[in-house]
Amino acid sequence: MANGLQGAPNVALRDDEVRRIKQRLGREPSLVELHAFDAQWSEHCSYKSSRHHLAQLPTSGPAVVLGPGEDAGALHLGVHDGDRYALVVAHESHNHPSQVVPFEGAATGVGGIVRDVLCMGAEVIGVADPLRFGRSSHARYVAAGAVDGIGSYGNAIGVPNLAGDVYFDDGFDENCLVNVVALGVVKESELIHSYVPKGAEGWDVVLVGKATDPSGFGGAAFSSLTLDAQEIEANKGAVQVPDPFLKSVLMRASYRVFKLLRERKVIAACKDLGAGGIMGCSAEITAQGGYGAEIDLDRVNVAVEGMAPEVIAVGETQERLIWVLPPDVAAEAVRIYNDDFTLPEVACNARATIIGRVTADGRYVLRHRGTVVMDVENEFLTGSIRDDLPYTEVIRHDAAVQELPAVDVEALLPLVLAHRDVASREPLYRRYDSVVRGCTVLPRGAADAGVLAPIRGSALGVALAVAGNPRYGRIDPGYAAEHAVVEALRRVVAVGARPIGLTDCLNFGNPGKSDQYGEFVAAVAGLARAATELDLPFVSGNVSLYNESVDGRAVPGSAIVACVGALENVGRAVTPGLKQPGSALLWIGSREMVVGGSVVAELLGIEGALPAISYPGERAAVGIVHDAIVRGVLRSCRAVSDGGMLTALTRLAFDAFVAGRAVGAEIDFGNPFCETGGFICEVSDDAEIDLTGAMRIGKTTAGSELVVNGVRFDVATLHAVWSQPLEDLYP
Amino acid sequence: MSARIGVAVFPGTNSEDETVQLLRDCGGDADLVHWSQPEQLADYDAYVLSGGFAYEDRIRAGAVAAHDRIMDYVMEGAALGKLVFGVCNGAQILLEAGLVPGTGPPRKPTAAFTKNAPVPHFICRHVYLKLAIDPQRCAITASLPEGALIPAWAAHAEGRLAASPEHLNEIVTGNHLAFVYAHADGRVDDAAVPNGSALRCAGLVNRGGNVLAIMPHPERDGWNFNHLDRRDEESVLAPSGGAMLFRSFVKALA
Repeated sequence: MANGLQGAPNVALRDDEVRRIKQRLGREPSLVELHAFDAQWSEHCSYKSSRHHLAQLPTSGPAVVLGPGEDAGALHLGVHDGDRYALVVAHESHNHPSQVVPFEGAATGVGGIVRDVLCMGAEVIGVADPLRFGRSSHARYVAAGAVDGIGSYGNAIGVPNLAGDVYFDDGFDENCLVNVVALGVVKESELIHSYVPKGAEGWDVVLVGKATDPSGFGGAAFSSLTLDAQEIEANKGAVQVPDPFLKSVLMRASYRVFKLLRERKVIAACKDLGAGGIMGCSAEITAQGGYGAEIDLDRVNVAVEGMAPEVIAVGETQERLIWVLPPDVAAEAVRIYNDDFTLPEVACNARATIIGRVTADGRYVLRHRGTVVMDVENEFLTGSIRDDLPYTEVIRHDAAVQELPAVDVEALLPLVLAHRDVASREPLYRRYDSVVRGCTVLPRGAADAGVLAPIRGSALGVALAVAGNPRYGRIDPGYAAEHAVVEALRRVVAVGARPIGLTDCLNFGNPGKSDQYGEFVAAVAGLARAATELDLPFVSGNVSLYNESVDGRAVPGSAIVACVGALENVGRAVTPGLKQPGSALLWIGSREMVVGGSVVAELLGIEGALPAISYPGERAAVGIVHDAIVRGVLRSCRAVSDGGMLTALTRLAFDAFVAGRAVGAEIDFGNPFCETGGFICEVSDDAEIDLTGAMRIGKTTAGSELVVNGVRFDVATLHAVWSQPLEDLYP
Repeated sequence: MSARIGVAVFPGTNSEDETVQLLRDCGGDADLVHWSQPEQLADYDAYVLSGGFAYEDRIRAGAVAAHDRIMDYVMEGAALGKLVFGVCNGAQILLEAGLVPGTGPPRKPTAAFTKNAPVPHFICRHVYLKLAIDPQRCAITASLPEGALIPAWAAHAEGRLAASPEHLNEIVTGNHLAFVYAHADGRVDDAAVPNGSALRCAGLVNRGGNVLAIMPHPERDGWNFNHLDRRDEESVLAPSGGAMLFRSFVKALA
């Protein structure tokens, strides 16, 4: 064995973990092995301190085609032309890289999640990006760069940006959150798995994509440490370099390989190269099928000569994936990538290369310059490890419930609309292509959720929305997680879709600190409770820990949830904006006067507990909205969230205003800024609506005017107030 | 046999599938032709260059692609009178190749679609194209009504027409200004222009009327389901809106 040494720099393994490795190997690990275990046993790869908590999440149900565990999960979308179709969903974070190098960090976040979906054999159809930025001047730099990175990457590869949200809170000044969700579509019979099938012994391991370079070395371990300002410069090398141009070609070439597999009727395995690089990917893809692998690092196409074997093995160069294929198919796939799609001409030394083979002995072996530099049990390397860390139970915030029966609407409405978390997001999302592929039904920003008709020639639709309010997370991270599930669900329901599944990304602090870890534990329990109550499975997700400021304060607890919905026919999607005068306006769902965690509470300087969730009430509200759609009486609808009921109604008036319809509203309601939930619905006829779960708050009127508790507002003036605030940050 | 349309794919092209789909839904016989097999293009009767970021928009959008072998075939075909239709990145490539407005020698552009102004950022915004020439001036627009208003999406970082005053004058006097940006009601003013384009230009045609370059994407508002306000369950998959320009193109090949 070469290079046996200890105390290698930039290794995050703990002493007890190194001891365990030595004991199992019966010798000192080589430098390559040390880095390999460092990556595989990092929180980022192993979920060692989170997996046992995540087991609470419901992950099964009739709509689940594939639960968590592979590169992405899959949900049943519907049947078209006799074929069952699945939606492939993945959810990731790229928080630390985006804080260090915002443009590249956020761009590679999109790149990574898109590859996760691609590797399941799916056509990538959309992305969403939940963002949390700080408010300092440096945070503004991060906010600007991250958005540009997301846009430049997604726009170039031709994947529409469908949904997302952004919050600005000084709790994210030193640690932003950049989450990315990606969606794909595939026939269920053509789903490709992230592990090798039975009988794969002797198959080729094919590395595809960008030439391996020293970028992204130590990325997995880097993501599993807190960010120290002084080390940020040094850590820049751990961030990968995006190449959306190469990715665009790689995606299209891979679609051609999917076709080859269909023609040859081959069941193959494919996996994204993410954390742990070539080593992590080739070890996991073979281990999960019960096999080992022998990889020759000298066959890897590299960008610079003379790279150390551990850098080639675990470096996280972007735009790469691994196929495991029978030898004859492998040769044909290599030809497709290198000749038909000319990868070597698209990016310097990019290509598809056979780098090794699947072995039956369960060993994971790496060779470099004729020497074995790594030889370990694959199961030991990739098997589950567990850290039972102590945590402090989060006591639900016991502040008094603040009821606020009435407020000064005239003064507050413009302030609420101009609030940084309510104001128009258009300055941001107009930089994202939300209509490429020509499948977009409701583009980003048009409604509470984005809607696509992703299968050409089919009217089947998919809706996608995200949620996770950091003001709630500050007050009660566990209950905030429940609210995130409920809000994401409401958004999907508001466009007329049937919610079918969830993904999550848990963005929390340092698991080594019992109070911060306690927030994470509470949030998982919250997600589990809400999903169970609402009968929705989680099919994919991600955990991002160590999100702390320099002086050790955790970010506001952020369980960010994405909800996927299905539409049998996109012609049934609820279209934006008030439609006509004389409709009834109903508030369907929860109407508590509690203001804790709301925008209006911040404006008035009030603290208080979060509004209570009534699950029977939520289920009933969803039923009432569905019923109104089915009966054809629902004209428009928005979910109540940040800025409260009046903001939702004002948004419906804005949507009509920009579409050139002069429709306004007249309502009476004491405190219309409560964010307790429910839906604002414009219905043509409320005669048959069960008003035990709904309240008539007013009616629509002719002319672009809102009359609230007798106070008149001009919609055009309000629209200008709402449109302006983010223009400075995103000109 | 009906005329065959070759939709050229460069490395970085990203709108090829919806372009082929809409051409087919409008009755066209369209196929993709990849950059590794450009010689196949010789067998096609008309060419479409779709949207994307060919060759990463290096130097200037379309500048590198204009020198790809694909363009040898397209330029040869255009000289023979074959119809050539470029959308967004395809339009940028046609300008860089000098095919439109076509007032200079090949590959010596006299105008370019370049960085948006005043803000040099990518913009995604719904727009309307308004036909600014006699429909018969261009074979591809020949079936459109006069002053036709076509819904589309602008989605580009480099869509502003830029040229010297003399060349802009040539565009006007030579009737090359095929489309301008307009509001939904047909009004034309600066507020309708998403990118600061000279002459409020959204599209240009060559002298012979067989090569058309437009910046916005009609194919992204090309079916009933793309429209925010016009859908019902039965007709949701029918081509409409932006499809009228694609239909006119297909008709010109009949």
